[in-house]
Amino acid sequence: MSTATPFTAGTAVRAALRAERIKFTTLRSLWITPLVAVLLTVGLGAAVAAVVGGEDDSFAEDPGLGIHYGLNFGQAALVCFAVLLFGQEFSTRVIGVSLTAVPHRGRLYGAKLALGAAVALGAGVLGTAGSFLGYGAFVPDSWDGPALVRSATAGVLYPALLVVFCLGLTAVLRSLTAAMGLLLPGVFLLSPLLSGVPGVRGAAQFLPDRAGQYALRYADDPQVVYGHWTGLLIMALWAGAAAYGGLCGLRRHGT
Amino acid sequence: MITVEGLTKEYGGTRVVDGLGFEVRPGVVTGFLGPNGAGKSTTMRLILGLERPSAGRALVDGRPYAELDTPLRRVGALLDPHALHGGRTARGHLRWLAASNGLPQRRVEEVLDQVGLSDAAGRRIRGFSLGMRQRLGVAAALIGDPPVLMLDEPVNGLDPEGIRWIRALLRGLAAEGRAVLASSHLMSEMALTADHLVVIGRGRLLADATTPDFIDRHGRTRIRVRAVDPDALASLMGRSGLDAQRVDGGAWEVTGAAPEEVAALAAAERVVLYEIAVQQDSLEEAFLRMTADSVEYRAVAA
Repeated sequence: MSTATPFTAGTAVRAALRAERIKFTTLRSLWITPLVAVLLTVGLGAAVAAVVGGEDDSFAEDPGLGIHYGLNFGQAALVCFAVLLFGQEFSTRVIGVSLTAVPHRGRLYGAKLALGAAVALGAGVLGTAGSFLGYGAFVPDSWDGPALVRSATAGVLYPALLVVFCLGLTAVLRSLTAAMGLLLPGVFLLSPLLSGVPGVRGAAQFLPDRAGQYALRYADDPQVVYGHWTGLLIMALWAGAAAYGGLCGLRRHGT
Repeated sequence: MITVEGLTKEYGGTRVVDGLGFEVRPGVVTGFLGPNGAGKSTTMRLILGLERPSAGRALVDGRPYAELDTPLRRVGALLDPHALHGGRTARGHLRWLAASNGLPQRRVEEVLDQVGLSDAAGRRIRGFSLGMRQRLGVAAALIGDPPVLMLDEPVNGLDPEGIRWIRALLRGLAAEGRAVLASSHLMSEMALTADHLVVIGRGRLLADATTPDFIDRHGRTRIRVRAVDPDALASLMGRSGLDAQRVDGGAWEVTGAAPEEVAALAAAERVVLYEIAVQQDSLEEAFLRMTADSVEYRAVAA
């Protein structure tokens, strides 16, 4: 029987983070999905730039649309990553083992969010850098503009905010299938679709992915009532609310 | 040490655990007995803070489990052998567990070796049999080298060799001075493993005693006798006024008398005995007699 070495709050947090990192690296589905997200983002973005880049009118008006075109597809993999990261703990009942190892709900959940956000941030850096380079290679002199820094910053932050939002919602729903069923069609189909319907367009622009993606763009959209930076802030508020909801759910329920 | 005080859990008005109180002491294997649905697993989940009690409390070394900083160093638990991700390897599963409580990674190899899974350590759990999952669950429980162990139905799914292994393991852990709580619905298994018994039915405490005491109190002691002349014995038993019953092949079972009395009586009446043996009820028989006595319990079992 081991003599317990003193375990301060700081060591406890580091231990929980380390455990989450090992959970991530020891499960193939978890590290492959963010990799796929980067490949889709960069690959499809470059492919579209190569084919239509120079000639497309909307890309010419707003290079942000062209540069980040691949992210439309890459984000589907990011949603899968986030939902799998937490959802598989519920579907396999490993959450019970996790909570016996780290009974402090906030510590376990915080470590999970931090790991997800860190991985997504990495994917955001790689995806954004790749997107800019890929688009620039096929459509020369297209990045320039006062919006460059903002668009690049949004490209890095968007994946992290999306992943935190999805992790929070998965924790609220406490189910892999429910979270996947809601989020994947929600982000990939419903949200873009609603933005095209005249009656609800006004409200749909406040959806997290719509708001976040507005920050990627170079040009102003007269139909959008907020600014580009505000769009990123709106998405951050969504992510924060979802994360807080997940914490409440985790604290209220047993496993 | 685990202390349970007035522990109660209600689900939608039904009391699954009802005012339960007991202690799990170091140095002995405490058997946690009761039929399926008696509330054993719920009690264990309450102790681990996986469920919130409706009333009462469960403490580990005087503190609620949820307040422990490195719980795996205090309590090792095996609740659900299926709560594993099939895509991880056995080693991968133990590695994150060790890291979560700041345990050195060498503990992973040590416990893998201890449960005999070293050869399968690099394989994905997906292909594991129930017995291998149980062993991995035991390895996870042992990883923090904890002074308290709690195992829910540890022999489930194990082959005879595995059952012998877990029995020896539990007894060995108790002999090292650890407190061991193991639940089972198999009485005969617990009779061989447990020094102390906590018996529950419908979430209530029915008995809390050492195994021999429990059998003494709730089981019967019978004297089995057999005579060269069965008819003479039958006639003697009829006249003697003893509480005697004929059993198979001319043998009789006497309850409520000392073996010396029976032997002396037979000698005085010149009945030649060639078998006289004291028979004790098994734990299973004692358990069934006790639950049959408990009106409340019978209402549940029906």
